[in-house]
Amino acid sequence: MIVSKSAKAFRLLIAGALAASVTVLPISGGFAAGEALGAKCTNEGESTGTFSTSLVCAKNSAGRLVWTKVKLSSSNLGPMSALRAPRGSIEFWHWRAEDKAWFDKIIADFEALNPGVKISQVISNSVDYQATAIQKSRTNKKAALFTTFRGAQFNTAATTDFYADLTNEQFAKRNVIKSMMGAGQYNGKQLGIPYQSLFNNPIYNIEIFKKEGWKLPKKFSEWISYCKTAKAAGYTPMAWMGGFRAQAGQIINSALMNTASTDALLASRVAAIDTGKEAITTAWFKEMAEKYADLRDAGCFPANPTGVTEAAGNALFATGKAPILPTGSFSMGGIVTLEPKMSGNMGITGMNWTEDVNARYTGITNNTFILGINKNAGRTEQKIARAFLSYLLTGPVATYYANSSKQHVTVLDVSYTDVNLRNTSSIMSERLILAPRFLFLNIGVRDALEDALIAIVGGTSVDKALTDGAAVIKTKV
Amino acid sequence: MSRTETGARKGASPRPKNKLARANDRVLILMALPAVLIYAFFYLYPTINNLRYSLTNWDGFKEAEFIGISNFERMNNDGVFTKTLGNNIEFTLLVVIFQTALSLLFAIFLLKNSRTTTFLRTLYFFPTIISSVSVAMVWQFLYEPNLGPLNVFLNSIGLDFLALNWLGSETVTLRAIAFTQVWFHTGQMMVVYIAGLQQIPAELYEAAEVDGASRWQQFKSVTWPMALPTTAVVMAYTTIQSFRAFDLVFAMTGGGPNNSSSILVTMIYLTAFNEFRFGYAAAQSIFLIIFILALTALQRRILRTKY
Repeated sequence: MIVSKSAKAFRLLIAGALAASVTVLPISGGFAAGEALGAKCTNEGESTGTFSTSLVCAKNSAGRLVWTKVKLSSSNLGPMSALRAPRGSIEFWHWRAEDKAWFDKIIADFEALNPGVKISQVISNSVDYQATAIQKSRTNKKAALFTTFRGAQFNTAATTDFYADLTNEQFAKRNVIKSMMGAGQYNGKQLGIPYQSLFNNPIYNIEIFKKEGWKLPKKFSEWISYCKTAKAAGYTPMAWMGGFRAQAGQIINSALMNTASTDALLASRVAAIDTGKEAITTAWFKEMAEKYADLRDAGCFPANPTGVTEAAGNALFATGKAPILPTGSFSMGGIVTLEPKMSGNMGITGMNWTEDVNARYTGITNNTFILGINKNAGRTEQKIARAFLSYLLTGPVATYYANSSKQHVTVLDVSYTDVNLRNTSSIMSERLILAPRFLFLNIGVRDALEDALIAIVGGTSVDKALTDGAAVIKTKV
Repeated sequence: MSRTETGARKGASPRPKNKLARANDRVLILMALPAVLIYAFFYLYPTINNLRYSLTNWDGFKEAEFIGISNFERMNNDGVFTKTLGNNIEFTLLVVIFQTALSLLFAIFLLKNSRTTTFLRTLYFFPTIISSVSVAMVWQFLYEPNLGPLNVFLNSIGLDFLALNWLGSETVTLRAIAFTQVWFHTGQMMVVYIAGLQQIPAELYEAAEVDGASRWQQFKSVTWPMALPTTAVVMAYTTIQSFRAFDLVFAMTGGGPNNSSSILVTMIYLTAFNEFRFGYAAAQSIFLIIFILALTALQRRILRTKY
């Protein structure tokens, strides 16, 4: 169902990206008949993919729609090959233990190409990484290649002069998709390269939706109806994991996305809460919180929702007991590991919390796993890191990483062969906003307000949860 | 060896004696130096630094600004801190009472050496050798409210009302973790008790039996008084353990839901490394040190009263 739509979705990709200033997804694609440079096309903005050779349908000087070259990178030049690395050893710091095997292979290949180079991965879990990685690595001369999360951690690294400036690096100009680089920029400088393109939207079980004859909900009332129907059919409508804040908090992205008429207004509202100028009892936040209660009352969440762990939530979805996993595309790899039969059986859909199907946004994207070079590392180490980073940003390497890790990436010339990555491409036809959850830069505040929303799902009244949460937030600012 | 003793040696001239004494002093100083340096570097320096940071608004990155005792004043008005302190006291009380009682009980039953008791001692001691994070993971699975074996079992035997949201309820979570902590360390304390109880002279029990004392009377009049020094050690150790239960709490709930299972060490960690308020975390650490010092002093006082 969704697979057949994805081809059309590919073509709308660039149009959506340019028009809505949202992230463009890297999609590979060959040219269909008639999709030749200068040939006539019909849908303005339609694209043939995210290859450096991709074409976009645009008006020519005579005002006719024709296939023209699309410039996805910041440079007029095509992607470059990897830099050479001097002899030496470095550490590559990140939090994705699930990617260790793929990075091991990539590192081994890089070491073979660059004799005398040794790269070791230093991996901690995401919670620890967010908390301690910058402090631990800032004085470590070997910790030359470093990743950060979008939001608070990247900002901390940027404001503390941690990252080397990559603005003028050719690989940063030629090998990556320009529109996806915003999350790695600070004060006009390209300090990091967001490597992954994620979609923090619910994943659904294609087979169950087909079997039950359900349509994907497109507005909030349809989500409520879906929950009631799915519950009546014996399912847990959403495998929401309230026992693990990091994943439970993913749906706040969808909840927030249309709460303001402009991005600037949303950012200022979030900043007001983040800095303690406004409490979460404020009208707009309360209105959003009440929708959590509506979802709760419609039976959307599992029994005992606040105690459901990540493992249990994933198991509910992987075993078909829950048709929807409200986390994001990044969970798909884990689901396939848990239940290989789920491969090819997962789609992704935006979660519109408004009644307007034409709302500003209908889905979430995020550019994260921001790769950067530690300015405090040794000079040779920085050179090795720079070379390895350029290697990661080459099409074949990124293709291997993307298909192995089941993550979309921000690199040009990547061929997505994995069925799950192809299935998730439907989300790209949605109007996507960069995950607003990461606008909260004070983690203590974000945790407290997410705790309040989790408490609502757990049965606490909206007023009490928000009042309690506001009191906690006061102690965090 | 003192200088007087050295000087008193027959036939020894004063000059070489002084040299020897000085050499001895130097050796003594050199021998103590590594320990002193390690202590100073790993304990004194961080503690003094911690005190210094507690008077600043340091965020871990930028230059720290001196803000006087603001962090300590803030603690007084911080509802989360007060809640956490209450949690810690409740957690400690639960763990100390149940862990001490259970380990004593097991020790009494498994005191005599036989194949069965040796096997059971090993079995009860086994959790102690598992890493705390593994224990946390296992119990997180057991406590899972919908798929976890504990609730599945309770539901299957009709005790649905006991199948709680163990790690998701603000009222239950702390107690559930305390239970895990007790399970984790009871075997260890049982071994300490066994060692203590085996020191009680058998004659005392024989005399009690001659006097016609029942089992309970023997426990009350012989075992319990004689086990008091061991109990003091067990309680002191358990108290410290419950203040250091960071790994278990952090891995099981991270202090949630809504800070209901947060204890001082997890709060200090999150304040420092999640919220990057190192100055405030340092002040909380100072409070924790003073709190434990006070508790230790209290225990010592009770100990002096008893013996």
